[in-house]
Amino acid sequence: MTKLTRRALLASGAGTALALSADPRIGVGQTNEPIRLGVVTPLSGPQEFIGSFVKNGAEVAVDLINKAGGVRGRPLALEFRDEKANPAAATTVARELLGMGINLQFGTIASTVALAYGPLMQAENGVNLTCGAGSEKINHENYSPHVFRIGDGTYRMRAQARMMAEKFPDVTSWTGIIPDHEYGRTVWAIYVDGLLEFYPKITGKQPQIVDPIIVPYGSGDYRNFITQAARTPARGIVNATYGGDAATFFQQARPFGLFNNRILMDAANEFIVANALKTQVPKHWTGTHWYYAANSSPVSKTFYEAYVAKTGQKMPMGWAGEAQAAVAAYAAAIAKTGSTETKAIIEALKGLTFDTVTGSRTIRAEDNQAIKDLEMIQIEPDAGSDVGFKVSDYVKIPGAGVIEPATPGKAMVLRKPS
Amino acid sequence: MVADLPTLLFNALVWGMATFLVAAGLTMIFGILHVLNFSHGGFFMIGAYVAHSLTNWSAAMANIWGFLAASVLAGAVIGIVGLVVDRAVFRRLAHVDGAYVLVATYALLLVCNGFVKLVWGLNVVSASPPPELFEVSFLGNLVLPHYSIFVVVAGVVVFLALEWLINMTSVGRLIQAIAIDPWMARLLGVNVGLIYSATVVIGFALAGLAGGLLVANQSLSPDLAGIFIIQAFGVVIVGGMGSIRGAFLAAILLGLVDSFGTALLPQMPGVLFFVALAAILLIRPRGLIASGRLS
Repeated sequence: MTKLTRRALLASGAGTALALSADPRIGVGQTNEPIRLGVVTPLSGPQEFIGSFVKNGAEVAVDLINKAGGVRGRPLALEFRDEKANPAAATTVARELLGMGINLQFGTIASTVALAYGPLMQAENGVNLTCGAGSEKINHENYSPHVFRIGDGTYRMRAQARMMAEKFPDVTSWTGIIPDHEYGRTVWAIYVDGLLEFYPKITGKQPQIVDPIIVPYGSGDYRNFITQAARTPARGIVNATYGGDAATFFQQARPFGLFNNRILMDAANEFIVANALKTQVPKHWTGTHWYYAANSSPVSKTFYEAYVAKTGQKMPMGWAGEAQAAVAAYAAAIAKTGSTETKAIIEALKGLTFDTVTGSRTIRAEDNQAIKDLEMIQIEPDAGSDVGFKVSDYVKIPGAGVIEPATPGKAMVLRKPS
Repeated sequence: MVADLPTLLFNALVWGMATFLVAAGLTMIFGILHVLNFSHGGFFMIGAYVAHSLTNWSAAMANIWGFLAASVLAGAVIGIVGLVVDRAVFRRLAHVDGAYVLVATYALLLVCNGFVKLVWGLNVVSASPPPELFEVSFLGNLVLPHYSIFVVVAGVVVFLALEWLINMTSVGRLIQAIAIDPWMARLLGVNVGLIYSATVVIGFALAGLAGGLLVANQSLSPDLAGIFIIQAFGVVIVGGMGSIRGAFLAAILLGLVDSFGTALLPQMPGVLFFVALAAILLIRPRGLIASGRLS
């Protein structure tokens, strides 16, 4: 079984790279030295948990490519640096890597860090692939030709809004639980944009947008905000708090019955909240970068098996998949261009189509934004399950149908409630 | 707003008592040792993890008495850790500049974070209240989760216990005497070192106990150390550095500010807490109760 999936990987995941590496006319230099990629991701601090998936995912992806012969006969090697989800720390270590000659970097998950990379990479001739940063500014008003968003970005919330209109046409009043920072406010603004576009189109009804509940980051007591949310007439709630904050919020909301008669759409916690609350988790939808169980492609299966074998984690989160996508993008770009030089790689990445755990992705040349399928899962408590919950529904929406127009250098125009 | 008044008051009380539980140990240690213990949140976090592990370990802890026992045990464990920290760190800092104390206790906080990652990992976990505290009562429109009522009662009980200890027992009077004038107390034959150690143990045990009592109030992750600590420092400062009574009053006052601030300024969550903190300190720079330490 294992041999079969590895062969399948050869045929698809690293296929592009290997096919081109067989071409003797072009090659990455005249050496067998490893091609070094820099992974700048949170390895400590509040986002260390997410960074651990990026780290493991990157290592697994590189192992698989190296076992399959590397890129143009050269193995890939990773150089990790801790950016602590802090722009100052991130730019310091990114610059250090650039100084070492490692111009190809990836791993960013925080919006503030991804935004800080644009000027740095442009000035110092590097490339960065973000693996989960959510701000729409990355490929719009703060667009940099040296930064690529390899995964879903802004338009995932639009896809989530569209799915709500399709699945719950009668739930037309919406509010949000929004953390008071860049990511939280972006999530809300984009989700509202999606609600205002897709509800009228799909249901013929105009959604009612109720002012969101703005919550502080890292609070220990959410009761006042829960009370506020419970008072709203909204029948749908989108949650943008994440990690421990989200688990605490959901935990404290339970006695108030906040989610009992409402539809809850979580932005991006994947299994974090469900793993924490187990049978106490409220029934909810959540966006995921990659849901391993529903992706049956050879690339996904091979990557999943290798990930479990390496980490022992049977429920990897989607950030691991985003790291795989970043490695696959670099491998395909290097194989395509035969060079690791920044200019060549940027040219190769623009318009590149490559295989990932979530299927084929294409990087939009105009604004460096990858177009990929968006995935959402519904989680509900299940006392009979080993983990205390189950995935009871899954939806995949093609990215091309929900992605916003490319406007590099210009702010994205968003619909706002009248 | 008027209709929500009881809810806002109740939420303020829950916030205040949860914060007081965390701040009590901080106040004790500052009151007598004059050590601003930055690592307090770290030991609160370890207390919560210990209580969580204990309740998972034994089915006997699945009721309210087991839950209380786990909290007390967590307090005891952290109290013992406090004894080690006192010998290894605090005593060495007794005669050095305050800046070194801040650096040392911050380093201890990092050790706590590393310890939690090493032992319990990075995953976010949570604990449910025992079945007796899992339910909800209603008073008109007022929602009263039993666990929230428990947190309020726990805060009041801890306050009364500390009041009794400090004002009604001979040990408490010695603690007060040493807090005011350790030199004179030593001249009178009081074993000041022993009282110092006892205070550190009590302060750390209170951190562990708070972790245990509040374990079902929030999720557990290596970030937990920082969740309550800013509010707890605010309570200690507004109350008057080292005053248990002041911390208790400040917790209620700042709880009200936080609760009404959320209702009045929903687009700027938490901002009134810091405004109130600054305003109170401008009016009363030494805090609400500044008559003496450990009053």
